[in-house]
Amino acid sequence: MRDIFFKKKMWRRHELKPRYDVVIIGGGAHGLATAYYLAKNHGITNVCVLEKSYIGAGGSGRNTTIIRSNYRTPEGAEFYRDSVKLYEHLAQDLDFNLMFSQHGHLTLAHSDRGMVVSAERAEVNQLLGIDSRVVGRDEVMEICPQIHLDGAFPVYGALYHPPGGVIRHDAVVWGYARGADRGGAEIHQGIEVTGIDVSNGRATGVQTSRGPVAAGTVIACTAGWSTQLAAMAGVKLPIWTTILQACVTEPVKPFLDVIIVSGQLHIYISQTDRGEFLMGSGVEPYPTFSFTSTFGFIEELSKHMLDLFPQLASTRILRQWTGLCDMTPDFSPVMGLTEVDGFVVDCGWGTYGFKATPIVGTTLAELVATGTTPRLIEPFKLERFYTDTLVSEAAAASVTH
Amino acid sequence: MRLPPREHELIDRSKTVTFTFEGEPVRAFAGDTIGSALFAAGRRVFGRSFKYHRRRGLLCCSGQCPNCMMTVDGVPNVRVCVRPPREGTVVKAQNVVGSLDRDLMAVTDRIGGPFTPVGFYYKTFIRPRWAWPYYEKFLRNAAGLGKLDPHVTERRRVDHEHAHAEVLVVGGGQSGLEAALAHARAGRQVVLIDEGPEPGGHQLANRERIMTMRSLAAETAQAGVEILPFARAIGLYEGNLVPVDRGSTLVKFRAETVVAATGTLEQPLVFAGNDLPGVMLPAGARRLANYWSLRPGERAVVLTVDDRGVETARELEAAGVEIAEVVDYRERVPRSVVAKGRKQVRSLTVDGKRFDCDLVVMSGSPQPNYGLLAHARARVEFDPGRGIFVPVELPPGVEVAGEASGDVGSPAVPPPSHGEGEGKSIVCFCEDVTTKDFKDAVAEGFDSIQLAKRYTTATMGPCQGRLCHLNAVRVAARETRTDEGTIGTTTARPPTSPVSMGLLAGRPHEAAKRTSMHHRHKDMGATVFWTGSWRRPHSYSADPQAEVRAVHESLGVIDVSTLGKLLVKGPDAGAFLDRLYPNRFSDLKVGRIRYGVLTNDAGRIFDDGTVARLADDEFYVTTTSTGADGVFQWFEWWNAVWHMDVELANVTGAVAAVNVTGPNARKLMERVFDGDVGNEAFAYLDAKRGHVAGVPALILRIGFVGELGYELHFPSPHGEHVWDALFEHGAEWNATPFGLEPQRILRLEKTHILVGQDTDAESNPLEAAMPWIVKLDKDDFIGKWAIEHVQERGLRSLLVGFEVPSGRMPVEGAQVVVGGKSAGRVTSVRYSEQVGKVIGMAIVPIDLSGEGTTFEIRIGGELDQAVVRTQPFHDPEGAKLRS
Repeated sequence: MRDIFFKKKMWRRHELKPRYDVVIIGGGAHGLATAYYLAKNHGITNVCVLEKSYIGAGGSGRNTTIIRSNYRTPEGAEFYRDSVKLYEHLAQDLDFNLMFSQHGHLTLAHSDRGMVVSAERAEVNQLLGIDSRVVGRDEVMEICPQIHLDGAFPVYGALYHPPGGVIRHDAVVWGYARGADRGGAEIHQGIEVTGIDVSNGRATGVQTSRGPVAAGTVIACTAGWSTQLAAMAGVKLPIWTTILQACVTEPVKPFLDVIIVSGQLHIYISQTDRGEFLMGSGVEPYPTFSFTSTFGFIEELSKHMLDLFPQLASTRILRQWTGLCDMTPDFSPVMGLTEVDGFVVDCGWGTYGFKATPIVGTTLAELVATGTTPRLIEPFKLERFYTDTLVSEAAAASVTH
Repeated sequence: MRLPPREHELIDRSKTVTFTFEGEPVRAFAGDTIGSALFAAGRRVFGRSFKYHRRRGLLCCSGQCPNCMMTVDGVPNVRVCVRPPREGTVVKAQNVVGSLDRDLMAVTDRIGGPFTPVGFYYKTFIRPRWAWPYYEKFLRNAAGLGKLDPHVTERRRVDHEHAHAEVLVVGGGQSGLEAALAHARAGRQVVLIDEGPEPGGHQLANRERIMTMRSLAAETAQAGVEILPFARAIGLYEGNLVPVDRGSTLVKFRAETVVAATGTLEQPLVFAGNDLPGVMLPAGARRLANYWSLRPGERAVVLTVDDRGVETARELEAAGVEIAEVVDYRERVPRSVVAKGRKQVRSLTVDGKRFDCDLVVMSGSPQPNYGLLAHARARVEFDPGRGIFVPVELPPGVEVAGEASGDVGSPAVPPPSHGEGEGKSIVCFCEDVTTKDFKDAVAEGFDSIQLAKRYTTATMGPCQGRLCHLNAVRVAARETRTDEGTIGTTTARPPTSPVSMGLLAGRPHEAAKRTSMHHRHKDMGATVFWTGSWRRPHSYSADPQAEVRAVHESLGVIDVSTLGKLLVKGPDAGAFLDRLYPNRFSDLKVGRIRYGVLTNDAGRIFDDGTVARLADDEFYVTTTSTGADGVFQWFEWWNAVWHMDVELANVTGAVAAVNVTGPNARKLMERVFDGDVGNEAFAYLDAKRGHVAGVPALILRIGFVGELGYELHFPSPHGEHVWDALFEHGAEWNATPFGLEPQRILRLEKTHILVGQDTDAESNPLEAAMPWIVKLDKDDFIGKWAIEHVQERGLRSLLVGFEVPSGRMPVEGAQVVVGGKSAGRVTSVRYSEQVGKVIGMAIVPIDLSGEGTTFEIRIGGELDQAVVRTQPFHDPEGAKLRS
């Protein structure tokens, strides 16, 4: 509260030093959270975060802010369960209001097959103590009276996840940035990594647009260019990159509290605290690094959205944007050690990276501090593509928000 | 209030309509907008601002700014300055507690300021944690503009059209008309779109120029240019796609050349009180006077950086407005400007000199309207000499004409803001962001335009930066002590102006596929439901088990037309299929059928079906119902990659299919089929051609449901005829139609898999218990390497059948639990009358996959026992199939 009267720099600017214990590439939520927990949980403070643009410029500032843990695989669900728990107390931890509102999350099913997938997720979730259950049409109507159940694709029921919610995404970035700065880490914006130095199978530092920086550990926390970045260290990632699009409408008074997702219609919607409807779809089916928005996206999205919410016909879309998504074959991330010592990856986050931020930060920090992979992220190691132990979210992931 | 009739006015005083505003009737002339009619009726306050609830009046009269948004006929956020009223239109103020003139929320402006600085909500309401939902509720209710009507379910009819133009000119101002004319004279087919009722651009509000514009427009039309009024470009997308909003029609233009003749965006000046009602942009004041013959004020001060303000002063004088002063920035840039007034502007003080006035015209920088160009990835550069951003480096196929290119003469550069400390100087009108907010944001470290934008929310409101982007960048540059070129721009994103979802959606379509026998199913009482995009019978009565019994005991008929059906033909057809499927088809005898699964390069199953060899060089392939298009694309892709001598045809829609099955199936076939159906002549897994009920057909003898069965494939148009014949001739054996639900029970009794249900994105043929289908001795096939790898590492799980001795029914998706943790799942489960048990299939850990092994599954939240069955539950030897 005092902060509203006394303006303080959220983070400082620094001269780049020749060496850091840990160099984090990517000043998004993941990189900043990792820097924060390195200092907070492990006392590692000689850390820098290198961001080629501005903090939160990538996926952290482009996502649609949904937080949930009702994943399909036990590995994924457990991981995100712990992420949601951390998110629930993060505002107090960071002393920054992240506006996390847990109004609930409904994944609609429009077929009996859709109901089976919902049931499977609910069963997996319940075993892990996650509040998640299948609800019928009546209960969907109770939770969201505005919805139109009998459109072109009638609603059979839904997977209901009461702790699901939305958060102010920029605030998460800024809160972690401030925390990392206060913990002693340096945040460098406008510095691009152009190379990773590897000698004798060990990463020793990075080349940047402002010269070389030596490092004890290099962590890649990027999205969109992670394959190119890892290639700089000679590490090959089984990732392809595409775009995910989103759009937002003019603000109106509160109409919709709960988050609505329809995998079959490929849409999802929430209403922000500012009153805008924030809407999105699935990733585009073609690989691209181009941030170009398409008209087909808002056209298709509107068509299906009005099927569920005809009341929105006169609501106007204000802007649309795109973000890059790194997709893995099993729709789960790649986290942890690589064949290059001292080079740690945190990549392949597809459309589900933002919601993992706190747990990524804590587990990566633990990995760097202790040198051993925490149990929670063991399933997501790069090695799984060689040992064929994939963590398949793919079946549940037509629209995964 | 109206001026006497004026030449060139847009209103027709002989026609009137009456609408209501807050319940009171308001009279308007034809040609009026709701905004102009309300102004004529004396209204000066048109809205309340987003955050501080400050009074806002007409500003742009061009539908750009957020000031006049009202709720019209239940639709919120309508800019009434450009919306014509209809008889009986109901107009209401929005985002007020009380009324527009007395809004209780305005208290936030007077005393809330110190407590609600930029980003206050990030720093407050943090503790106690439990209280946030209550604060949030309050914040949510305070935010938002208009209110949606939750009960609206009817949609206005909207149509979509596609159109092509060699040249599409966006904007019908002088330069747009001239560009269109030039292209037309060069022999190209040109379409010009303009937002207004007629082309002419801002010069329509210039009495000296309007006739010149009209004759230029006439000349342009005569040269063959198609001019579309009331047409607004939504954006410029890849491939020169320009969707155009024409009210109730969305026209999707593809053009070889797009000419952006979008003019400029008049920018406000930033000074204390610059948002008071009565402070207007030049176009706003001129349109009031010249379109609608309204005097925008009695006494005016004009602040201007170029000729536009000077011209405006002249136009206003002609409308009887006294011009107190014209402050021309090219002569002298004032350091301090302060507007004062409560309900509207009453005075303007410029460098200490006070002018009493009720109208201030602020003509800030003429910012080229480069939005469309930016969508097409033109670069934008700051021109410090003129204080504006100009587009550079246009992509191919895109041109720019007139002021949009930066051809705006030599305007003076106004300061980012004029003085401080005299009340709020608004930078962003939509979001109530002040110069002080930028100062605070930069002081807190949000020192790039991207960060400052996100923190202050400037440029993120309904105008999308059209009125505030330039000023925001300039204020931020000053606060960070850098320059505008360094601080950069935010990205201009489509759409160019807000576009309704109803327009984008078009007419509601119901994308349903139905088979050619669909109406027969309805007539026979089928419950129809969605499976993918198909509508199929679930069952024909409330008791699916009765249909199962009919199949087991006598005769059932099911419509399986939804199966994908592909023809693979050519000398390489066999070799082609050998590469696509893990098993072998090149050695399949003509007239025989083999089952196959399709695997991707990771060895994962993605589809299955039967393959029949019709001739040495011809195969008939069936796929799953939902997989048809995907498999066809997959085949085409690989055919293109391998350059094999194979031709492919997807005949899914052209061919209908019906499965006739049950112990009496042969008897029926004898009646309707013109060939020998004896078990010798037509054995299990034979494919034969012939006629069924006189219709040419391909008959596959297969048995997905576990009884003697014939799958009849024939041209779709004969669907109802064949269906009727089967029931006519089958009446003797009580032929029974059966739906998808009985089919699922029947196939589960045989543990035949459903791809996508019993498999998922990680299933491979070995762990799906189909090792017999994988021929690793083949040269290569898609997924071979991966399946070999699975074999080397050993199986970890297995798809098995199971039964539940307790008789309790788990849900499909129920977890197999080992040591309290998920270790597998139930993929299918049903009660089988035939078996007398709850039976199912499950993916279990390999060490629990042996016949008779007991494992635990979760049923209703509790653990129960299931027992592995590795053989089919019904007819394990397949004797019935072969009978």
